[in-house]
Parts: sequence; C-alpha cells; structure tokens
Amino acid sequence: MRFVTPCEEELSCLRGDPLLVEQELDVRPEVAEAVEKAAGFRAGRLWWRSEHDHLYALELGDLGRGRPSTATLYGFWDRFEPRPPEHEIDADLLAACEWIAGLSPSMNVSDIARVAEHARIPTGWGEGSVLRTPEERFANLPGFPYAARSVEVEGLRIAYVEHGAGAPILMLHGEPTWGYLYRHMIGPLARLGRALVPDLVGFGRSDKPAAANAYSIRSHVRWLGGFIRKLDLGDITLVCQDWGGSLGLRLLAEMPERFGRLVAMNTGISDGRARGEAFLRWRRFSQRARSLDVGRLMRRTLAAGRLSDEEAAAYNAPFPSSEYQTAALVFPRLVPIRSDHPGAYDNRVAIERLRALDLPVLLIWGAEDAITRSGEAHLRSIFRNVAPPVSIAGAGHFIQEDAGEEVAARVADWMKATPRSPRATARPDL
Amino acid sequence: MAFIDEGPREGRPVLLLSGNPTWGYLYRDFIGPLASAGYRAIAPDWVGTGYSDHPRVDAALTLAHHVADLVSLLDQLDLRDFVVVGQDWGGPQGVGAALQRVERLGAIVLMNTWLFTGLLSRFHLSPRPWTTWHAPLAGQFFMKRHKVLSHHGPSALSRRGLSEEEARAYHHVFDEPDSDHVVLTWPRTIPMREGDRGWGDMQAIERRLAELEAVPTLLLWAPEDVVFPIEHANRLKELMPWAEGPILFDNAAHFLPDDRGPEVARAVVEFLDRHRGDRS
Repeated sequence: MRFVTPCEEELSCLRGDPLLVEQELDVRPEVAEAVEKAAGFRAGRLWWRSEHDHLYALELGDLGRGRPSTATLYGFWDRFEPRPPEHEIDADLLAACEWIAGLSPSMNVSDIARVAEHARIPTGWGEGSVLRTPEERFANLPGFPYAARSVEVEGLRIAYVEHGAGAPILMLHGEPTWGYLYRHMIGPLARLGRALVPDLVGFGRSDKPAAANAYSIRSHVRWLGGFIRKLDLGDITLVCQDWGGSLGLRLLAEMPERFGRLVAMNTGISDGRARGEAFLRWRRFSQRARSLDVGRLMRRTLAAGRLSDEEAAAYNAPFPSSEYQTAALVFPRLVPIRSDHPGAYDNRVAIERLRALDLPVLLIWGAEDAITRSGEAHLRSIFRNVAPPVSIAGAGHFIQEDAGEEVAARVADWMKATPRSPRATARPDL
Repeated sequence: MAFIDEGPREGRPVLLLSGNPTWGYLYRDFIGPLASAGYRAIAPDWVGTGYSDHPRVDAALTLAHHVADLVSLLDQLDLRDFVVVGQDWGGPQGVGAALQRVERLGAIVLMNTWLFTGLLSRFHLSPRPWTTWHAPLAGQFFMKRHKVLSHHGPSALSRRGLSEEEARAYHHVFDEPDSDHVVLTWPRTIPMREGDRGWGDMQAIERRLAELEAVPTLLLWAPEDVVFPIEHANRLKELMPWAEGPILFDNAAHFLPDDRGPEVARAVVEFLDRHRGDRS
C-alpha cells in the first residue's frame, strides 16, 4: 500500500465514490483494532494510491465505542470523467483487502486471492473488452518497413518498432496518428542511436480497450511508464509531438533519471489555463464525431506534406471501424481545459518537477501549427537549458509529415552538438 | 414480512423456514403436498430476503431481530398448534421464536441446521472461503460488490444442480444493489466464539431446548452437506433425545428441501399425520 497525503488542491478536483461500506467493522474486534493500530487513529481518513495510480481512502468512524466501528472505502475519481474500468477497481480493492488480512491475526493474506479466484472475480481485461487490429491491415505500408515488436503492460500489447543501436531515441506520436508518423525520421535518427517508436495504447498496432473509461492521462502515463520499464530504457532522448509530448513530459517528470535529452515539437503540457480557439474547435468537433477519417483529417491538416492514397490509408490502418477509435475520440476531451480538472492538477505538479531539471531541451515548432502554438513559450519558461528556437517554415501540426527529413536533420545536428545531461544519465535503480 | 399461505385456513399451520441465502422459494415442493394433506403451509421470507423488506442496516438483521419478526407473525396470524420446519438459519430462528410461544408449538422438523454453540463444521471454521468471504471489508467486497453468495451460493451448493431459471429465482430478490445485506449479516451472526454477535442468543436457545421435551421432533438430514454435516445431527439428537431420526437423504446437500423436495415433503406429512393433535 502506497500511503499518501493528498493536498486540498487535488482533493477539490475529485469526487469520492463509496465502494465498500462497512457498518460494523468491529463485528470482528481484532480486525478493527488492527486497522486502528495501522492507521494510527480510530476516526479519520487513510489515503493510498493503488498500482493503477488510483486514489483511495479508508474512512474510519468511531461511534462512541472507543474503536473504529464503521469503515467506508472510497475511490476518488476525476469529477468530469466516468470512473475507471471495474476490473482495475476490483484489483485495487483486493489489494486493500489483502492489506487488512495482513494486519489481522484472524485472517490470511493468501486467502483473499484464493477466494477471489474461487468466486471468479476478474481482475484483468474481460473477454471482448480489448480490440486488436488484424495484422493484415498493416501489410505493405509505404515507407514503413519496420517489423512490429511488442511488450505486454497491464495485460495490453504495446507495439513498437525499433531501428539502430545505442542509447534509445524514444519517439512518441500523438492524436490521432501512430508510429507511422515518424517514418521519415526513424532512418536518419537510427544512425545516432536506437530509434524506438511505440504506438500509444488505443492506436497503431497496440491493443485498444473498447471502453472510453479505460483512457485517461494517468492510464496512458502508466502504460508508457510500463513500456519504458519493461524495455528498461535509460539515457533516453525523448522526441515527442502533440499528446506524445503531453504524456512524455509527464513521464519525464515521473522518472527523470531515465532521460538524457528532450526534443519537443508542437506539443504542450496544460496546467488548466484556457486554450486557444483552434483547439477548442477541434475538441468540439471531435466530441461530436462518431468516427474519424484519419487519412482525410491528416490531408486537411497538413501544411506542406502530401499523402499518397496508400499513405492516407496507412493512417487509417489501425481503425477497421469506429469501434477501434475510442482512444482517438476520447483524447481531445482529456486535455485539461479547466484548472479544476485533475489532469490539470497532475500537470501542475509535473511542471514543478520539470522546472528542477537541467536536461538539454530542443523545441521545434511548425510555423503553421495553430493547435499548439502557445506550447512553445510555455515550455521555454519551464526548462532552463533550452536550445535556440527552431521554427520550421511551411510546417504545420504534423511536423513529422510536413517536414520529417528536415526535422530529423535538425534533431541530429542538435544531438551531435549536445551531450546528454550528466546529472540525468544515472541508471535507474530498479 | 412477506409470506406464502396455502391450504385450508383451519388446517394445522406448518411454518416453512429457509436460511441463507434463500427464501420461501426453497420450499416450493412442500406447499402442494402439505396443502393437499390438509395442512396450512406458511412460508415466510425472513426480513432481508425474498419479498419481505430488505433493510440496509446491519443492526436490524440480528438473530434476535429475526426471532422477534417471526414471533410477531405467529401472533398476528394467531397461529395455534403450529409446526416449525427449519433448515439452516430457519432452525435457530424458528425454534428461537417457538420458545417464546412454546404453549402454541405443535411440532418441530429440523434439516441441516444447528441450535447450539461449541460445534462448528470445518466449512464454517475454514478461512477459505467462509470466514474470508464475510470478513470485515472483504465481506463487503465479495458478498455485496460481487454478490458471491446471494447469486452463486444456491447453485454452487445444490447437489442436484439448479436450472438457470431456478438459480435466477433464488437470486432475483437480491439483484438490486444493496438489497443483499442479510447475506452478509447472517454469516457474521454465526457464533464462533464468546462475544460474537449471536453467541448469547444461540446459547439461550440451546439452554432452553429441554423445555421442548413434549414436542414431537423430527430430524431430516443430508449427510453429504459440508455446512452442517452429520455431527450436527448427532449433537441435536444429544440435546433433544426425544427427536425421531435423523432420517438420512442421499443425493442431497445443504439445500435438502430443494435437492429432495418431494421425498422430504412426504416424510414431513407422514410425521405430522402420525402426531396429529399430540399436544392439543
């Protein structure tokens, strides 16, 4: 149990949901006493974060009996979003039950899992709850000869491609694309290191939970963090755009010891301040849409780049039908556009951590990008060690598609000239 | 408190008392045979089960409360020379109520139940699954969030195997969220040690059993039951040496009235016919 003390600012953004209501905790007095001893009080709230990074509290009440008599276990969720998948909650509640069993002289920790198994309580993705795009949709992709590899994180397959050797260059795509977006950059950058391009969960060749509540900033950060830990990446040069940056910057704040350099392009980390009209238009459009024609959307959004029909099809390849597009349809809604959005709070915490880092940063912005225009100045204000600005004329939001080769060359030049931050290259302690 | 009331009004009242996690439906094979034999078959649903109210308050579902509810039913229906037929919690709750109206009690039939402290089956003592299922907070998780006992108990413990419709009939009364409170309070009332909820009430019942010596008593038992195995019948026989039986039924387990309904009903009718008016 990872006990925490959440601050008022965070709590004011959450809603508490009673999951287990125990009217008579002292029906087994030894359990009530053990819980009191572990909590350090007989009335009050004990907080923890689960392995899914959800926030829970056990509220103890003393009804004048001199020991905890009532116990309510709350989950705390994003006030503007549905609660997370039930199997995650079940797994977290079982962990809490195991904690209590471990405290109590009359219970065995191992029995909790065995009884759960006996009762067939699912703690993983249920049958049919995760979609996987058929392999044949990815046959003969123009300009993308890389074999798909994958790792499993929380029961989900995260697909990635890999090219070159050396220190990892981790390229993160955003909405509504996939690793294919980086095809003009993988070759050139693979000469400088091990180019790694994962597909976010819900995108590309990665698994796609069908339910919208599977997706949150926290879950994406968790899944990507799992990817990095599974491959045990250190000394990473992070190259990111759009949501790849919004998530990548959270990862950087969470595990800075694994990162050596940052290249951020057309991205941002929202602290909850109001967003520009271009973004809000896109958000409104996306939340009304039942499906997205990604190829068409790319063609409409590109400033200089031109997509062949095959390339446009490659952007649609991950999505045989709109059923597969839940992640893409949800993403715009997850951008914190209010300061009381929990994602905004989490991002503010991350931003404070980022301010303390001195890793070298390169910001590359497409001169024609309307969606994330304000992000550049914001990131410049956060990081200390930022290279002179690079603006790519004629490039829009999908800068890797508009000017991939030029961007790759600028990144490569900068990487050659910029040693990784010595402070940040320490191997992570696993 | 809801109840089924079939058969001639003037017939001798036979109270069919179910236990956890069932309700009057457990006795569906008894109503017809009893009624056609001239008995008034009354199958109440304990408060918290069946079509009775389902209070969401632990304290309203203790052994003492269930007993008081049945005493109230006995009084309101003004039942005389009544017969208590009890399985599982139907035993202590039925006998507990009868002891409070012992002058009107006509006969007792007990099936796979107990009326005492100090002897518990391995099932009830075992941490897996039983005491873990209803442990603090874990009980809320398994019994209420996942309805393990209310929705899967009858079919899991049935020897004969329930049809889907029968399984649904048992659990549909617990389908509403939070309607299954009793399924959790009952296990927690099983007195395991001194100080447990139910300990004092159960001991009071056990102490007074000798007062029932003149009451014709029959034990019907499914020895394959792991919840109340044959040792419990033997213990009842020690405490109530005047009891007939135990008559043993194979191909039956905990829910004997469901597993072998028609045969058990026939045994009850035969027993009651033999003891017609013994105490009047």
